[in-house]
Amino acid sequence: MHVIHMGHDVFKANDKVAEKNRKNLDKHGVFSVNVMGAIGSGKTTLIEEAVRHLKDKYRTAVIAGDVIAEMDASRFRKLGVPTTPVNTGKECHLDAKLVEKALGEVDLDNTDLLIIENVGNLICPVDFKLGEHLRVVVVSVTEGDDIILKHPMIFKTSELAVINKVDIAHAVDVDAEKMRDDIHSLNPDIPVILTSKHDWESLETWIGFIELGIGRTQEARKK
Amino acid sequence: MHEYSIACEIFEQVIETAKVHGALEVRHVTLEMGRLSHTNPEQLSFCFKAIAEGSIAENAEFIVETIPPSLECECGYTGTVDETQIGKNDELQSELLEYIAALECPVCGKNARIIGGRELIVKSIEIETEVEQ
Repeated sequence: MHVIHMGHDVFKANDKVAEKNRKNLDKHGVFSVNVMGAIGSGKTTLIEEAVRHLKDKYRTAVIAGDVIAEMDASRFRKLGVPTTPVNTGKECHLDAKLVEKALGEVDLDNTDLLIIENVGNLICPVDFKLGEHLRVVVVSVTEGDDIILKHPMIFKTSELAVINKVDIAHAVDVDAEKMRDDIHSLNPDIPVILTSKHDWESLETWIGFIELGIGRTQEARKK
Repeated sequence: MHEYSIACEIFEQVIETAKVHGALEVRHVTLEMGRLSHTNPEQLSFCFKAIAEGSIAENAEFIVETIPPSLECECGYTGTVDETQIGKNDELQSELLEYIAALECPVCGKNARIIGGRELIVKSIEIETEVEQ
């Protein structure tokens, strides 16, 4: 019996493909957002609002990740933006290879903003970079105010956190400010936005954040 | 399931390496697993066995070595977390949370960047070859 040394890092293999995706996106001047969060946190609605508001200003496309079915993809298509559904089959997250394949179907030359909706889950997407420019975690008050400390790594590794459905926080006996404090205890530097689909001002903050990224990408392209 | 796709990737790499080295059987697969990775060793082993059924790795045993998180701070510190802090704070009730609470620079106390502890590495395999029989 003998020992063969391998040193093959499974996540780094994914990271390499993610880097390739990032270069591809950069080459085309596309700003990409990876939206992660649990089932029912409101990811699709937040993306819809962003698409509705930004599609006439920026050429917008969506990759809609889901285990099965195309419910979310059809919601984005209804808004008139190119949408690529990705069914993972049994997987609980998108990985860089799936996104690489999906990017082949996106007209990157004619895209400024690409929003990727990850599969509903606060755990698995953490270990898999996609090549995105902005990692967003969406959590809703309906998930309970201990949801954040139960899933520390996603808050530790994201670049923006959204606490959604804050208009019903009282009804579900949850303190959204405690959730914000918990996020900051895990990641002091992360911007945290409180949103509700019934409060346009809060949605504007969310959309403004994406627009900031698009602006930066376009500036960098000019240089 | 998260572990399934990881097990597929491990299986492919293991089989490829085993075949290159003329293996008749893969006996052990040794993994290095970062404490901050969301991977469950038992589930991973279960998935691997299911995928490896009928292959030269179907009886392979998983050996998992864990890697503690390591940090890099803007003050210049690089190193691992202070392991003595882990397991002391009962309030946190989870090893992962304890590690995350300890991800501060031991020199200046600032929030440090994680540079290690999230990896999943197929470190080595132990194989049987014809030559030895």
